[in-house]
Amino acid sequence: MSRWATIRQGFLATLVVWPGVAPFGMVYAVSALSAGLSFWETLGMSLIVFAGAAQFTAVGMFGSDAHPFSIIATTAIINARHLLLAASTASYIRKSPTWLRALVAFQLTDETYAVGVQHFNQHGGNAWFQLGSNLSLYVVWATSTIIGSLLGALIPNPAALGLDLIFPLTFIAFTVPMLRDRVNLVVALLATIVAVVTALVLPGGWYVLTAGILASAVGAWLAQRQQLVQKELINENS
Amino acid sequence: MSIWLTYAGMAAVTYAARAIPLLLLRNDPPPWLALWLKYVPPAVFTALIVPAVVTQMGDYGRVLQLGPAVGAAVVGALVAWRTANAIVTVGVGMVAFWLIRLVVG
Repeated sequence: MSRWATIRQGFLATLVVWPGVAPFGMVYAVSALSAGLSFWETLGMSLIVFAGAAQFTAVGMFGSDAHPFSIIATTAIINARHLLLAASTASYIRKSPTWLRALVAFQLTDETYAVGVQHFNQHGGNAWFQLGSNLSLYVVWATSTIIGSLLGALIPNPAALGLDLIFPLTFIAFTVPMLRDRVNLVVALLATIVAVVTALVLPGGWYVLTAGILASAVGAWLAQRQQLVQKELINENS
Repeated sequence: MSIWLTYAGMAAVTYAARAIPLLLLRNDPPPWLALWLKYVPPAVFTALIVPAVVTQMGDYGRVLQLGPAVGAAVVGALVAWRTANAIVTVGVGMVAFWLIRLVVG
């Protein structure tokens, strides 16, 4: 498949997450404007930083006149989870040229990571697909920021409507079909426990990192043990 | 102007987290790392789902909150299990959420 066709494929495969993202791009814009940011500053953050949770947090901090360094440090903490998403994505697209991986890194998010992994597990790795997926989310995030700025106060609070549930529901649709075997089930159960405990104890997005690292390590250990047992059985039978 | 400098700092730390692993992990990873990374997606996905469903931001950080979202997530999981379709899962899950909230109040 040509590059453009693959980019297009990634772009279209990401449409499923648009309904979950667009309301929050709009609300982000409304809250940014009400925190005193101008239209261009509001749109600028979506285009330059492009990280939903960090943008919402930064808006709150701008509103309370926080020091720029504390805003940047908070952003680093919230986005530390991307280390893990990027390491995981790298295992699929490491054969692609450096400049392309550097470009993919600019827009890697929770949502596009999920779309990419699903595709790569079924069809193999290709950075152009990830780029198309990333561009898709960039477009909807920027567009919804603009629409939110224009509509302003007409947007009802999406959390009051329960629309913040779209995000976990989208991820449930990605995750549940993955849990076909015992190791994946154990990983999910363990991630549940570690994530909830961490979320209750530590601020910010640390729970994605702790659960992501610990539960996957245990999963790898279990899978390795299963492989060893299977090898022993084969040896005994031969 | 300082706000744009703040953006530059925010963008730099965000890009670093996204780019460093993508640029450094070039060669075939050792088998233990490959196996580890294989189980990162289910672990990360679960971590993104569960706290969003069972906790809420309180005045002093996150607190446990078992409300209609939990029922909606269970319905969503069943639909995802049967259909593996994101749009259907989100649609049925949201309807379940509104119905449960209507009944429970």
